[in-house]
Amino acid sequence: MEPIKQFLKGFLEYFKQSSTEYIEFELRELENIFALILMGSFIGIPSPPTTLVLRLMPHMIREIKVMQQRAVDLDDIFAEIAGMFDID
Amino acid sequence: MKEFLKPVDGFRVIFVIGKGGVGKTTTSASLSVALARKGYKTLVVSLDPAHNLGDVFMEKLNNKPREIMENLYASELDMEGMIKEYLEHLEKTMKMMYRYLTVINLEKYFEVLRYSPGIEEYATLEAIREILLEGDEWDVIVFDTPPTGLTLRVLALPKISLIWTDKLIELRRKILERRRAIEKIQGERRFVVDGKEIRLASREEEDAVMRELNAYREEIMFVYNVLTNPKRTAVIAVMNPEMLSLYETKRAYESLREFKIPFNMIVINKIVRMEIPEIKGKIRTQEKIISEVKKTFKNVEIIEIPMFQEEPRGIEWLEKVGGMIIGDH
Repeated sequence: MEPIKQFLKGFLEYFKQSSTEYIEFELRELENIFALILMGSFIGIPSPPTTLVLRLMPHMIREIKVMQQRAVDLDDIFAEIAGMFDID
Repeated sequence: MKEFLKPVDGFRVIFVIGKGGVGKTTTSASLSVALARKGYKTLVVSLDPAHNLGDVFMEKLNNKPREIMENLYASELDMEGMIKEYLEHLEKTMKMMYRYLTVINLEKYFEVLRYSPGIEEYATLEAIREILLEGDEWDVIVFDTPPTGLTLRVLALPKISLIWTDKLIELRRKILERRRAIEKIQGERRFVVDGKEIRLASREEEDAVMRELNAYREEIMFVYNVLTNPKRTAVIAVMNPEMLSLYETKRAYESLREFKIPFNMIVINKIVRMEIPEIKGKIRTQEKIISEVKKTFKNVEIIEIPMFQEEPRGIEWLEKVGGMIIGDH
């Protein structure tokens, strides 16, 4: 009985992971965009009111982290997308 | 006295705008003297970095409203100082929050921020907002503004800020929605930065970014509501009977209409009334421009102020000119 239970649990875990994979990708993209918009003036994109940006900055730790990670992974973005669609 | 100068619904805000050197400060000063004489508790504030409101009143002025005569208070805002103070305050809060995250070299960032485009406009808007927040202390607040270009940008800011804030709120909602969806399946989520664990907020009321966005929206909405309400705000444009001045007034009129800010009166200042043979051509042009102003601005009050032999300075002079503006003489 125990192995079957374990198998089902593992199966469920896997299912949970993969079911949120797309949403997580989308979430990361949105967080990245959010940070990019606020810091756009660094790369020449018109940015929102300076006051607003400065007020939001202190709360943007997560988004800035995501944005930085995104920049690091950028050279391999196709691999990430391919992985998501199970292309080997 | 004109309806758009009286406080109807709470306090009245009057912006005096116009090209550099046409007589905005003199007009604001005269207007406020006349209003104070009528018994309205009046505050006249100079937002112009090139301060000369004090020179007109022949008094030294600073950030704090100073009593000039009964019912009349005047102040000159030190924008430079305000920007500096504002940035210092921000730097402190940012440093505290980012202790454990060295993303940007903050000191360098703040050094250049002082000269960043737009910071002056935001500081001016912030100053206007702060005065409006305590507006109930006064019956009428007269703003003597910097030359048209900067003023129009400042008056446009609330609308532009609202558009930006709404877009960011929309995007933030999407992020929070996705976070909630993931949370439902995987449970509460955390993430670690430099050894510190942070819980990912997924609900609007617990997300600091969303709270900040909403707070900012409310603040801007307050200013926007005051500026676009014809019962609370009036704009007076000052011009000289010259072509350039006329063009600028037309542009200001168009822009203000776009932002739904009322435009109530034009003061044509420094009109030469005497027949002087040497400047006959100039006088003809003046007449032409005055009649064009009357033709172009149909729903706007037009006041003509002649060129005086001496500069109108000091309370007596100001009262005389002020009477002409509010229409009592």
